[in-house]
Amino acid sequence: MAANAEIFLEHAPWGRNLAWSAGLHVAFTVAVILYSVISPGGHGAGWGAGGGGDAIGVTLVSTVPLPANPAPTQNVLANESKGLTESQPKPEEATVPDAIPIPDQNAKKKPKPVVTASQRKPPPQPVEEANNVVPFGQGGPVSGPYGVFSAGGAKGGFGFTGGGGDFGSRFAWYVRVVQQKVSENWLKYEVDPGIRDAQRVYLMFDITRDGRPANVQIEQSSGVPSLDQSAVRALQRIDTFGPLPSDYSGNKVSVEFWFDYKR
Amino acid sequence: MAYGNLQMRICRFTIYSYPSLNWMAIRRRFATSVSRTCPSTRSRGSTFRSIFLGLVAALLLASAGLAQDWIRTGTGLGVEKVRLAVPDFKASTQDPKNADLSKVFNDTLWNDLDNAGIFEMVSKSFYPLGLVGAPADVKFEAWNVAPPNAAMLVFGNLGVSGGNVTVQGWLFDVKNITSPQVLGKQYQDTATSDATRTIAHKFADEIIFRLGGGVAGIAESKIFFVSSRSGHREIWEMDYDGNNQHQITHVGTISLSPRVSPDGSRLAFSALVKTGWEIQMYSFDLNRLVAFPRYGGTNLSPAWSPDGLKLAFSSSRTGDPEIYVVDASGGNLKRMTAYPGPDVSPVWNRKTGAQISWVSGRTGLPQIYTMEADGTNVQRLTDQGYAVSPAWHPNGQYLAFSWIRHYGPGAPGADDIYLMDLASKQWVQLTHDGGRNDFPSWSPDGRHVVFQSSRSGSEQIWTMLADGTNQKQLTFSGGNTQPNWSWK
Repeated sequence: MAANAEIFLEHAPWGRNLAWSAGLHVAFTVAVILYSVISPGGHGAGWGAGGGGDAIGVTLVSTVPLPANPAPTQNVLANESKGLTESQPKPEEATVPDAIPIPDQNAKKKPKPVVTASQRKPPPQPVEEANNVVPFGQGGPVSGPYGVFSAGGAKGGFGFTGGGGDFGSRFAWYVRVVQQKVSENWLKYEVDPGIRDAQRVYLMFDITRDGRPANVQIEQSSGVPSLDQSAVRALQRIDTFGPLPSDYSGNKVSVEFWFDYKR
Repeated sequence: MAYGNLQMRICRFTIYSYPSLNWMAIRRRFATSVSRTCPSTRSRGSTFRSIFLGLVAALLLASAGLAQDWIRTGTGLGVEKVRLAVPDFKASTQDPKNADLSKVFNDTLWNDLDNAGIFEMVSKSFYPLGLVGAPADVKFEAWNVAPPNAAMLVFGNLGVSGGNVTVQGWLFDVKNITSPQVLGKQYQDTATSDATRTIAHKFADEIIFRLGGGVAGIAESKIFFVSSRSGHREIWEMDYDGNNQHQITHVGTISLSPRVSPDGSRLAFSALVKTGWEIQMYSFDLNRLVAFPRYGGTNLSPAWSPDGLKLAFSSSRTGDPEIYVVDASGGNLKRMTAYPGPDVSPVWNRKTGAQISWVSGRTGLPQIYTMEADGTNVQRLTDQGYAVSPAWHPNGQYLAFSWIRHYGPGAPGADDIYLMDLASKQWVQLTHDGGRNDFPSWSPDGRHVVFQSSRSGSEQIWTMLADGTNQKQLTFSGGNTQPNWSWK
């Protein structure tokens, strides 16, 4: 007994520290419990109990027409055409930093290597306008065969190939239909809710003469299986886009579709 | 020394414990408060207190920040509707009947396109002057920029000659000057307003088929309903826009729940006959009732399978109302449910025909259930209130139904139409604050719902787009209930 008491007495008074430590632990635990109570993580249970009634993937589906989105969207078919060429911004060239040579004292002194034009970032050149460019805002059906849509933060886009390569410009209305149907059938709630951001997923599919999507395949995966699946299902959900335009002579068109996901 | 360590740990903890939050404001605030308090040796108490308060505040704020991710409303679609301009058609002949028929045609075409729900109709006051009767008259630069700023232009001409009316119509993509034509059509029929209206319906359907992604228009579809305006409750029929209402059955007692067959050749309904409530069958080929077996008990609400080969209905022939399935001829009766409590109002999955949804009172108040067509895999969809009248969407993904979410004494008890996504079990309310709304039925294109509402003071038939907008009353005289939209 006495020995123990001495041991306590030897040390500096730490009861106050201990109290603080205990207090902080308790505070932290309380805070964690508070957080778990307040945070809305447990949304799995009460599906019908209200609250979620207004946010619903249903609204993305083609057969259910939705209130028009007040936010401006990039409908390249109807407006703001950037012209037939130069529709995609050029990718920035990656600049490779010049390697710093390790000085070698034995070696002869070499003349400083001349930096070639290819190694150095080229000075900005004036962009040469092609002859057939359609200036901004002055018509032109589509920005090339590319279209972009967005659905609540997520984005998709596509390119058409087939025929003489002018399907997108000749049948802009059909391209628009495809864009609309795919975007409406893409249900974002199928994507893993833990995913906040993902790589772009590329899909390829054909549209047959009677308008059915066929040969849906993932060209480049996003690395998120649920996102890939949701994109494939968006197309599987579509029965038909409507028959291909009667003026079009080919048997099918191929479409490349990409989906960007951002929560 | 011990203090120093403790402080260091707490500082590190507060700074690094929320790397995933990604909420810059909190972090910045934290960083400043920590850097202000930690290195200083002011008073221990205030240091700890500020850190502790900061910790709690951060957790509270963090939970609030995460909560924002889940309150998001998701009505954004991202794709605009097509701006469609439809100038009046030009007269191509000098016949005196032109004016009347032109009005019928223009009004019908406009209404059909407006009702389709996929177009934004450009107001006629924005149109450039001058009629457009032929492709040569189209001035693209006048249509494809503001004020009309139309993406698509519908135009054409109409003329009466020799008792016949001829309509030429075009659909142009006016943003695409090099190859604008999407559609060109010519129609000819007798010069009556009915025939002209039919032409307008057909032309509207062609346009909707092209621009709506291969989904056929509904301008020629019919709606069947129960009306009491003849004195008895009988089955009536009308066009989808409320025109041309006429009586079908003359049973002379009470007829309810009309259900037209998928091919449109027959109409099943339930009627009060001498032996009680029985399923009746009306043939549109013969224009009379045809024989159908009587099962005894109360037999109600027949429902066609999408292949037209089977009927599901509820029957109390064993005492308790249960779901039965029979062949379209009435033979081969099979019982699907066997559970105490009423089971009524079956509907088939209109896309696959592999599932049946129905209303069951096995847990008390009626709720919506689904099962496979063989009776297995029973699932309950609604979890509260009073849910009746399921109607399966043509694409099989959704169920519309009538739901009193808070039922009972003291509850508001609004009876509204709801839409549920079957895969995710999420639902959305389509009608709000307007009487009792019941008996939804889907249009063939799946973009419209017809339903019964008492908001005008009496039970009448209304339609709306499937998102709840554009609600329109179709019937006005007598009491009209239980609408059923034809399959095509």
